[in-house]
Amino acid sequence: MLRLLLLTCFCQAAHGQEELPAEEETAAEAPAAEEIAADEPTPEEAALEEAVVEDGPAEEPAAEQVAPGEPPADPAQAPPPEEELPPLVKEPQLLDFVEAPYPAEARQQGVEGTVLLALEIDETGAVVSAEVLEPVGHGFDEAALEAVVQFRFSPAEDEQGPVPVIIEFAYGFVGDIAAHEGAHADVQADEQAAEEIQAELPVNLEGQLTEMGTKRTLRDFPVLLPELELSTSSDDQGWFRFHGVPPGSHALRVAQPGFDPIERQVEVVADEVTTVKLWLRNKSYRQDELVGVYQRQKEEVTRRTLSVEQVRRVPGTFGDPVRVIQSLPGAARSPFSTGLLVIRGANPEDSGVYVDGIRIPLIYHLDGILSVINSDLIESVDYLPGGYGVRYGRSMGGAIDVNTKHSFPEESHKFSWTTDILHSGGLLTGRLGKEKRWGYAVGGRRSYIDLFIPLFTKDSGYTIKPRWFDYQLKLDRLDLNAGRFSIFLFGFQDLLEVATPSDVAQGTDQDTQGDMSMLYSTHRLIVDWERSLGETLSFRVTPSFGVDLGSGNMGDSFDGSETQWLVELRAELPWEPSEHLTITPGTDFIAGPWQFDVSLPFDPSIMADYDPIGEREDWAIQDHGWVWAPDSFIEADIRPLRDPEKLLITPGLRMNYSWLTGGFKGLAWDPRLAVILKPHDSSTLKASTGIYHQPPMPTELYRPDGNVELDYEYAISTTLGWEQFFTPAFNADIEFFYKWLDSLIVFANELDSMDDPYYFNEGVGRVYGMEVMLRREAVDRFFGWISYTLSKSERADYPEESGQWDPQWYPFQLDQTHILVAVGGLQLPYDFEISTRIQFVTGNPYTPYAGGIYDIDQGFYWAYSTADYNSQRLPNYFAVDLRISKLYTFRRWQLSSYFDLLNVVRATNPEFVIYNYDYTEEAYVRGLPFIPNPGVDIEIYF
Amino acid sequence: MRSISSSPLLAAGLLCGGCTTQDLSSSWMIDRLRILAVRPEPAEPAPGDVVSFEALIVDPQGDPEMTIWFGCLSDEAEVMGCLGQMDLDVLEDLDPAALEELDPEEMAELWEQLVEAGLMGIEPYLAPSYTIPADILDGLSEEERLEGLNLFVQVTAIPQGSGEEEDVAEDDVELAYKRVPVSEARTPNHNPAIAGLRIEGVEFGPDVVFEVDAGQSYRIEPVLADDAIETYEYLNQQGQVEERVEEPYFSFYVEEGALDASYSIHPYGEVEWTAPTPAEKTDQMLWVVMQDRRGGMNWWSQQLRVRE
Repeated sequence: MLRLLLLTCFCQAAHGQEELPAEEETAAEAPAAEEIAADEPTPEEAALEEAVVEDGPAEEPAAEQVAPGEPPADPAQAPPPEEELPPLVKEPQLLDFVEAPYPAEARQQGVEGTVLLALEIDETGAVVSAEVLEPVGHGFDEAALEAVVQFRFSPAEDEQGPVPVIIEFAYGFVGDIAAHEGAHADVQADEQAAEEIQAELPVNLEGQLTEMGTKRTLRDFPVLLPELELSTSSDDQGWFRFHGVPPGSHALRVAQPGFDPIERQVEVVADEVTTVKLWLRNKSYRQDELVGVYQRQKEEVTRRTLSVEQVRRVPGTFGDPVRVIQSLPGAARSPFSTGLLVIRGANPEDSGVYVDGIRIPLIYHLDGILSVINSDLIESVDYLPGGYGVRYGRSMGGAIDVNTKHSFPEESHKFSWTTDILHSGGLLTGRLGKEKRWGYAVGGRRSYIDLFIPLFTKDSGYTIKPRWFDYQLKLDRLDLNAGRFSIFLFGFQDLLEVATPSDVAQGTDQDTQGDMSMLYSTHRLIVDWERSLGETLSFRVTPSFGVDLGSGNMGDSFDGSETQWLVELRAELPWEPSEHLTITPGTDFIAGPWQFDVSLPFDPSIMADYDPIGEREDWAIQDHGWVWAPDSFIEADIRPLRDPEKLLITPGLRMNYSWLTGGFKGLAWDPRLAVILKPHDSSTLKASTGIYHQPPMPTELYRPDGNVELDYEYAISTTLGWEQFFTPAFNADIEFFYKWLDSLIVFANELDSMDDPYYFNEGVGRVYGMEVMLRREAVDRFFGWISYTLSKSERADYPEESGQWDPQWYPFQLDQTHILVAVGGLQLPYDFEISTRIQFVTGNPYTPYAGGIYDIDQGFYWAYSTADYNSQRLPNYFAVDLRISKLYTFRRWQLSSYFDLLNVVRATNPEFVIYNYDYTEEAYVRGLPFIPNPGVDIEIYF
Repeated sequence: MRSISSSPLLAAGLLCGGCTTQDLSSSWMIDRLRILAVRPEPAEPAPGDVVSFEALIVDPQGDPEMTIWFGCLSDEAEVMGCLGQMDLDVLEDLDPAALEELDPEEMAELWEQLVEAGLMGIEPYLAPSYTIPADILDGLSEEERLEGLNLFVQVTAIPQGSGEEEDVAEDDVELAYKRVPVSEARTPNHNPAIAGLRIEGVEFGPDVVFEVDAGQSYRIEPVLADDAIETYEYLNQQGQVEERVEEPYFSFYVEEGALDASYSIHPYGEVEWTAPTPAEKTDQMLWVVMQDRRGGMNWWSQQLRVRE
């Protein structure tokens, strides 16, 4: 049985206007389904509506449709259905408005009219049937019918979720406004006179409308004094004013779609001004955020951009938007739920991570759980698993670009605070300056698991203290006329300390005794300047300056530190001579000095024939040099068809050049080509091919004697995919990929002497598979996706034996044949929300050992295997994570409390195989047990 | 290929050190055939010296049926000792039982064949020994001759009862190897010596049975002989003679109960042993193996009696 919902919405088709200007289209496309029932609008009202659309603010036409004095049509007041149904918690909202052509007959006759229709809207928001309730003839009925069946609404919902409803919808056809004014001049004159008389009276009732929780000013909200048939609306500062209200007690009412209606009795005293402040509660704060932040930037063959608010609600991500990548196609599951980025079968080091386009060495803190950027400052995360353009380089794997926010609260300062079992952190944002043209953000976080671990390990003797902190400071000029300009300073430091009591032996070697520590930190200052240089030319330049520091020591014997200063410059100069062509030359430049010092209790040159009973001497080395990589690229966006959106061909060429003091100098070219074809608005065919060069890692390149024979590694990547929008809210994406890896760096087959080169470009690899994603956008209370990856990633070292091509393929260490992830979130009444993530992943390969041979001098067994490398697999991984959250909204702040329940089914998933001392027994190291992670997020506006 | 970046996994591993569902056997628990130590005598022979060997091999099932000794020089050795150099064919025709019936001449002839194949001994029939070739250090510089090179000794212990089966199961056979430095060092190394044990502060010498209470914990520490820790000379890479002192460590093994650590380092030589409760055997053994990290080693065997 369908609910009959008496919702009346009035829209108009502009006579004589074939195409509305963009702003007007916006106004026409998104009127909310009005919750206040209005009578069928008269032509006079229709004319007023037309005037509003042309002259007034575009966002809230529905507010102007309120007929003063009419009581609101609460859904609960709908005619009693045949059986009692639960009340609706959300009315349908018109998302896509379709303009009906003005009937030629009516136009010739100068006739206007309003057609009242009944629309049946199903659970997806689609109009499944329409019926004219009150025909008006002149071709209006047919035109309206043809238009409304193409409408798309957000579905109505009761507490159980989306439900079908029938609504009444008034489709108005309004003729030329000038003629209309003439026809109804008398009526207008009367109304205008009344309004002028009322306006001449002094203001004696005023107030301000503010959104609860966010202190956001509510503009253009209708405010009613129903008993007096007076109405007004809030201005840009949220203020409303009534003139000449008679003394006494009056009901003041504010009702706006998307907000809880509010009614307040106010006392108006003669010769006094009564001032009230009204707080309105948004029915769905999160939904606003969701729709607001979803964005899709430059077209890429495979770019999966998710809204931050959506992904922060995915369980198992600890609220970190970057971590959601591991729930997307192409990303392998990381052991212990850490943040290793294994994208399309590539090593974690083979994928590039960026912040606002600037590459950084690490994206996760040392615990592998949280990313190094405060989650509250992240606007979106671009995940490019492959097939991306020449803008990104120096990587054979994927690319991840974390985009920080460019939007800041307009009217107040906002302080966000997050606390969970691992860390706490805060972020202060707002605007500065008289005209508030500068946005700012100041934030910092610290982990405190190091404070808790000693409580649980005090009897073990060892003390493990992992801790990290990060900080962010951002200034962003918001005056877009002068171009976008921002300065972003951020950094982090990770420290891992293992303290050992002095009377506890740590290994049998005197040199390995003592405490151990490992420290890593990165700091970056990024300046981002983007502006137009005319109609066809613009530029974006992003210089950055930073330093990466690393150090570690074990006792007094092992000690090392490294420092890398980096100047990076990303600059692009897009030239768009027409809508069919954009050419973007650019540079991706990195340079800087490095230095390191290492001291060891032995000379590493003896490692080739290490003698545990031989004498050792302390050894130390210090060195310094430069790295220089002025990569450049040029890319064209060619849109050859008349409709430029239909076909996009993007050829590009990237020049890679790297030079490292005393070690490596290389030049390589990356031609890439991407094609995006949209045979239909809802369908996209995507294909790409290209070469991706990657320079050797510094640790592979450096040799004191310069005996390095390394060159670039590279991948030849090809993808082919199809993306289909079944509805605007539901889409599917399938992609096939094949990647050939060549010149992979592998360790020397035999190392007779430490004078020999350690590494060679003698490895190959191949990765191929398919990725599927079914996704339901968060247009209403439910969001979710199913991600499935079928892939195979293999390597072969030294594939040529005696000149014969004979690769011995073995599985990549984190090769996972099937990766299935299902994510879903549902907003419940009373601001509860529940979300879940279900994972099923093939177990990782491993090499089984058959036993060991005892090295008496070293006191341990050397393992031997009788099986091929990585020839066995761990059992499959299965986990269900759950997140339950509740949002509390107060006037000036909001509190979101949540429970992230990891592994609720208590699956004992093997992560590694470990062996006993002589490799005759094996056991699994299990993954994370059931972990309840409670936390709170607080947002305060002041 | 490259290895996976280890920092996140290291942190996770440290924090999740106990995430196993079953306990694996500990190296200090003697629940099967084990080769715990090999003592060469002398500990650092010179070219031409004859070196004899003794092994500490323990097995709850009794003495091993046979122990086979191989030897190879360092330029022939691989990561796992002489495994790749062993000529196992010579063993296939060997009937251990027939060895006892051989006369001295036949035994000498067989011995010559075995030595040629790299064999150093077959216990209990032929005691292991090795004659260091007199020219082994020829061609080396003076510094290299002082530093010397290694003789690798490969020991294969075959448990009781294996001879009755056609094939010896791999898991039953214990393989171990050890390096023996051969040099012309001015202060050649000697095997260290343990004089006794200090248990709960009380010293015990040889041939004393120490009685323990089931379930009770005891602090155990080796008592070193006076000359156990040597001072020796080392010619460093700058050509200077350094005086160095040995830094020994100790490994502990028991048949039952639990040790809190499998090894300790001088001067923190103490470990804690908790006697079993109930004990499967009243009389048990505890072994302490001392290594001086220069190739010299020795051990102490202590009999324990568990009182319920």
